[in-house]
Amino acid sequence: MTFAWPRAAAVARKEWFHIRRDPFTMTLALVMPLVMVVIYGVAIDFNVKNVRLSVSDSDQTQASRRLIDTFSSSGYFRVRRDFSPNQTVEDVVAERARAALIIPPQFEKDIWSGRTTRAQILLDGADNSTVVPVSQYVGAIQTLASERIAGADMTPPYDLRTRFLFNPELNSRWFIIPGVIVVIMAILSIFLTSMTVAREWENGSMELLLSTPVEPLEIIVGKAAPYAFLGALAVVFVYIIARAAFGVPFRGHIWVFGLGCLIFLLTYLAQGLFISIATKQQTLAMQFSMLTGMMPSVILSGFVFPIASMPKFFWYFTMLLPARWFMIISRHCFLEGSSFFELSVPFAALSLSCLGMTALAARRFKRTLE
Amino acid sequence: MMNRTLVGFIKKELIQALRDPRMKFIIFMAPIVEMTVFGIAISNEVKNIRLAALFTANDFVLRDVYERAIDGGWFIPARAAGETTQDPFELVRSGDADAVLVPPEGGFTRALGRGGAQLQLLVDATNVTQAQSVESYMKAIIADTLQADLGASPRPPPIEFDVRVLFNPSLDTAIFMVPGVMTMLMVLTTLILANIGIVREKEMGTFEMLISAPISKSEVIFGKTLPYVLIGMTNLPLLLAIAMLVFHVPLRGSLIALVAATLAFVCTTVAMGTLISTFCQNQQQASMASFLFMFPAIMFSGLIFPIENMPVSVQWLAFIDPLAHYLSLLRNIMLRGGDLRTSAWHICVLFILAAASAAASFRRFRTTLS
Repeated sequence: MTFAWPRAAAVARKEWFHIRRDPFTMTLALVMPLVMVVIYGVAIDFNVKNVRLSVSDSDQTQASRRLIDTFSSSGYFRVRRDFSPNQTVEDVVAERARAALIIPPQFEKDIWSGRTTRAQILLDGADNSTVVPVSQYVGAIQTLASERIAGADMTPPYDLRTRFLFNPELNSRWFIIPGVIVVIMAILSIFLTSMTVAREWENGSMELLLSTPVEPLEIIVGKAAPYAFLGALAVVFVYIIARAAFGVPFRGHIWVFGLGCLIFLLTYLAQGLFISIATKQQTLAMQFSMLTGMMPSVILSGFVFPIASMPKFFWYFTMLLPARWFMIISRHCFLEGSSFFELSVPFAALSLSCLGMTALAARRFKRTLE
Repeated sequence: MMNRTLVGFIKKELIQALRDPRMKFIIFMAPIVEMTVFGIAISNEVKNIRLAALFTANDFVLRDVYERAIDGGWFIPARAAGETTQDPFELVRSGDADAVLVPPEGGFTRALGRGGAQLQLLVDATNVTQAQSVESYMKAIIADTLQADLGASPRPPPIEFDVRVLFNPSLDTAIFMVPGVMTMLMVLTTLILANIGIVREKEMGTFEMLISAPISKSEVIFGKTLPYVLIGMTNLPLLLAIAMLVFHVPLRGSLIALVAATLAFVCTTVAMGTLISTFCQNQQQASMASFLFMFPAIMFSGLIFPIENMPVSVQWLAFIDPLAHYLSLLRNIMLRGGDLRTSAWHICVLFILAAASAAASFRRFRTTLS
């Protein structure tokens, strides 16, 4: 017997009824993208602001007050006054402040006598998310304060003009939303397929299906198709929100992006299928989907943590992740407007992993049948 | 409370959860593997930025800037470094370089001699944080180079900040990231296992059987949830061992406080998992719902973005996010040395959250069962 589309379509229709009968899954599949995009669009900003700074001013002069003023008027810090240096350290320990500024006595005197005067900055090294940006701000404020308070000419003999390409206003959303699409697709496709097919095994209805004239491949295609459709629907949904509500530009070709989506979706559907065949049990299928699908595509794909900064080993290891390649395709399509030819490497890698995953799933499926 | 029925119940539940060797792997080995992998792989620091500089043979200052940048460790040479013919914009767009230094006409060295030299830095701003880091790294490198090359040691700034990073003076990435990774892994096992464990019984119809058995409702609920609290607690020594032995993360506070904090957190996540389970009919729904909970929970925990940076309305969400409190506790107890009042506050909030979710799920159980 050979592959027949009508039979696959019949399986797909049955699966689609199943999804429709279960409005909860359907809602979740469509609400989740919305929640994720809104969270990122509204709540998340990489540009760190409102850093609570605890200040102890032992000098109490005009110069020291102007220094504190420089911090508070920069917009990055929320200043909180304290009495002693010890108290500022306590503030950092007790989470009341993320950073401390300790101005020594004689601060103003030192400036007028022409010596370099030193104020101490303490950063909360327990909080990874603020240390790096805050230390950058501090450098800028050092120059600003030297100019404003001591009247020093700090202009360097050159003028560095930075042009931020593709995202001139450094809008975090433009960076994160093309990545969210990748994460959403990964989660929807891998979870939904692995769980549904695992349930069929768990209930024993898979054996029943296999004893019918429907071919195994037809079952697979039929089962996966509705979820592929749901995944594609979620992408369109997120795309519209990204463009309409958050003004993320799309500079590439829609068909390049669409092709990337399709291959990526197929890869993760195959992976979900593989997991379900290997585990045949929903609890396990879910845990393995989490372990091999969701966590890597959130953490190791370059979504927020840059791959280039990882140790060399991970630079190679992450090449195995389809999410890493699709992340590149998605970001390039949105922001840089790359052509298909320029994205040939990610596309080749993605196709390769798609083929590999499908082959793996098909082989495992066959072996289970024999 | 702790009667024989309950003990028997818990025993049965533990045996059932751990019967499958693959499940044992998921519960005990997966966190160890993930902890190691993520602890090594991820950081907020930006490294290995591909830099190109378009200098001619006699532009020695710019060449020095470039070489210093490469030697400094943050930058690596881009594929097409040092060729003057290429369009710098194309270099970035094609993905050959992340940043390009473009000298003014006639070279940077000569322009410096004339005064008012302009140097352009083109940065791929697709990744916002990376772009900002590149700019500030570059400023520092250029300043250093000019000082060394032209001997024009500019007068030291009259006001200098002495920046110290408390608790992690060597800026060890693992120390920054490990508390966050621990938080994520603890919630993965507890919340999802508890949720799925209950929903599975519901799906199979065995939950109704339990209800009709001669045991009280609270015995059923505690019997179903306490095992997951136990399993969650066994993860603590494993993760702590990896943190301390592999990553040399200090434990500066008391172990007792850490155990208390973890117990509070695990109770909260199991209670929340139970509450989520009351809304789900089958395991597929449960997995989607857990994910819908976990994604924002991770985002609002302060692991990737600082909480004080979020809008006030969202900060309230962060307040009821158990992950935010546990992350604060881990940072506080492991890194800062454990200010007692801060720890007590977070543990109290966690227990209140646990009690509230437990009460809510009791109510939901009562209404669905009667």
